[in-house]
Amino acid sequence: MANLNIDSIKARTFDAIVIGSGISGGWAAKELTGHGLKTLVLERGRDVKHIKDYPTTNKYPWEFEHHGQLPVAVREENPIVGRCYAFGEDSQHFFVKDKEHPYIQDKPFDWIRGYQVGGKSLLWARQTQRWSDFDFEGPARDGFAVDWPIRYKDIAPWYSYVEKFAGIAGNKDGIPQLPDGEFLPGYPLNDVEVYFGDHLKKNYKNRFVISGRCAHLSKPNDIHVQQGRTQCQNRDLCQRGCPFGGYFSSNASTIPWAERSGNMTLRPFSVVESIIYDEKLGKATGVRVVDTNTRETIEYYAKIIFVNAAAINTNLLLLNSKSNRFPDGFGNDSGVLGKYIAFHNYSAHIGAQFDGMKEWTVDGRSPTGGYIPRFRNVFKQETGFLRGYACGFSAYRFQQHKYDGVGSSLKENLVKGELGPWYVGSHMMGETIPKESNHVSLDSKLKDDWGVPLLKISVDYDDNDEKMKKDYIEQFTEMFTSAGFTNINPSVNHQAPGLDIHEMGGARMGRDPKTSILNEWNQVHACKNVFVTDGACMTSTSCQNPSLTYMAITARAADHAVNELKKGNV
Amino acid sequence: MDRRTVIRNLALVVGGAVLLPSCLHKDGSAYVQLKHIILNSDQQDLIANIAETIIPKTNTPGAKDLNLPAFVLKMIDDCYDKKGQDKFIAGLAEFNNLVIKKYNKSFSDLETKEREAVLLGIENSHKTNKKGNSTPARSFRPQKSADMPPLDTFYGAVRQQTIFGYTTSQFFMTKEIFYDMVPGRYIVHYPVSKLKLKTA
Repeated sequence: MANLNIDSIKARTFDAIVIGSGISGGWAAKELTGHGLKTLVLERGRDVKHIKDYPTTNKYPWEFEHHGQLPVAVREENPIVGRCYAFGEDSQHFFVKDKEHPYIQDKPFDWIRGYQVGGKSLLWARQTQRWSDFDFEGPARDGFAVDWPIRYKDIAPWYSYVEKFAGIAGNKDGIPQLPDGEFLPGYPLNDVEVYFGDHLKKNYKNRFVISGRCAHLSKPNDIHVQQGRTQCQNRDLCQRGCPFGGYFSSNASTIPWAERSGNMTLRPFSVVESIIYDEKLGKATGVRVVDTNTRETIEYYAKIIFVNAAAINTNLLLLNSKSNRFPDGFGNDSGVLGKYIAFHNYSAHIGAQFDGMKEWTVDGRSPTGGYIPRFRNVFKQETGFLRGYACGFSAYRFQQHKYDGVGSSLKENLVKGELGPWYVGSHMMGETIPKESNHVSLDSKLKDDWGVPLLKISVDYDDNDEKMKKDYIEQFTEMFTSAGFTNINPSVNHQAPGLDIHEMGGARMGRDPKTSILNEWNQVHACKNVFVTDGACMTSTSCQNPSLTYMAITARAADHAVNELKKGNV
Repeated sequence: MDRRTVIRNLALVVGGAVLLPSCLHKDGSAYVQLKHIILNSDQQDLIANIAETIIPKTNTPGAKDLNLPAFVLKMIDDCYDKKGQDKFIAGLAEFNNLVIKKYNKSFSDLETKEREAVLLGIENSHKTNKKGNSTPARSFRPQKSADMPPLDTFYGAVRQQTIFGYTTSQFFMTKEIFYDMVPGRYIVHYPVSKLKLKTA
């Protein structure tokens, strides 16, 4: 019996545990297994195997029951996830439905989740812009949050490292606030995007339209072929999962890579209830898992633990990991755990028409679009609000049909039609300032199906966001007008935080254990063998899409973890 | 029971299973069993005949050839909320009354020209009633019909879903236009003249 027990413990003991298999968890799994560590990857949802488990990926519109539209029952049952742009008849199976995992909105928060192997890496918008020191130095310069414990020079080699493997298409644009990286050929801008870029260059300082750098294989290198991926085929159906592996996802890239090492054990249907802390050893020894099929609680053990459950769920897990040593949540000596949650402000958009360049158009589809790096308050504070916004900017045109009438003339009109004028559209991506009052906490009574307390979310916009939004509308109205665009139509929406799917913070990095949870290597200050490298670690948000930074931070932390293990320091 | 009988009986069972979700028209053809709304065979015939008037058989297939009536019914049944469906049903009754009043016949008994006149009449009066356009442009999501009279809701929905079903049908997307699912390219600065668009 004793032997059996020892065998059982042995079977549940690994060198490393990675909690979560999304964009950052996949990287942790790849890096740790690549260094020879026997690694258990825990995923709360089901397994999704590359290609095999993309049931809609090759379907034509007429092969969907509702030709792509969602039934009203689905929409009514899912007011939250139903608001996500990528949630459709072709992709709904990759999203958590509202009823499946409830949470409490002290303030409206659209929490968009993907509970499966690969997480939201199957669904992301694939924009991958680097941060610069104008971002890392932001909190210190402008006096908010706490100083980032790292600078661009610390992360730059890791950006290069992950870019080479993931495959990032882009151009070397030479813009100080958006450093260049290791790029595959960039996708071109179309005529009107180039025209607007030229207009900005001529008339404004420091405003550029560039091709948005994106995680697509415009021209695969050997390392991508080794992953079994091929060139992006410009289908623009990414949310279904890509049978070509044309864009980076954990499923197409890091997870199968980790699997091939022979060092990974992937365990889906495993909700991590808490991290186990051993007071005598002064470190974490493992995790407590609830098997969602059997409802059994099982403990797994390892020397190091990577927490990559996705920003909000990482907060939930840390808050729920209570012990004598950490009565208020794991590593929460400072009391800031769950606080200083921030996001990106996507609540303004502007559209217009352009009557020039009628003889030109595009052929095929682009997996990216134009991107305007932050131009407000970059080199110094110059407006009435803190920080700034990046913007998407795209131009497009389409065939216009007459839809009136009936019969043979209508049939003909549905086929025939002139190409319409160019339309342009832009949306803002604003930095929000982390605040103590924007926080998540555990409900004292209500629990989910696995016995984990429900999370209460209290996150809101502030006055700075309103000012920034107003500035975006003003600046773009002016730039569009001077560029000769017409029918300029600014629109402000009132989308709740969360719908940007860029929620960050709660377990922020910092230099001082009294005001932060993680150190410069993403180790929990008070428990050095636990690493948090997903969005929860973010001290501030800047305005770039964050996934690339999570990847780089994760690879960097994994490298440090392996070195510390070798030295016997963790 | 010999082997042949087993196979014959099995075929009956399987055949029965296929027919179960549908019911039979008076003429023996199947109609669609709906989940949320009740439409009898006459009402379903009416919708099919409206769809066929919108997208008729010409030298290319029409609505009925492409099974669009069943698609329209499925969309009304699944993709419209209760309020919209109630209004749809009320509009359907109004539609019938309007036709009877004018022609003293049901829509299904009208000649094609008369059918077209009825539909165009509703379309034109809708346009003069309202600033907005009853016909969908690029989006085929069910329209918010809160401020629309029932007749417009009914006809608008049938029309919208017929056109949506048609333009997303296999026939249309492979024979009438070329839906390029896997372009494998993105070329900018491309002359419009090279697009091979069918223009008016």
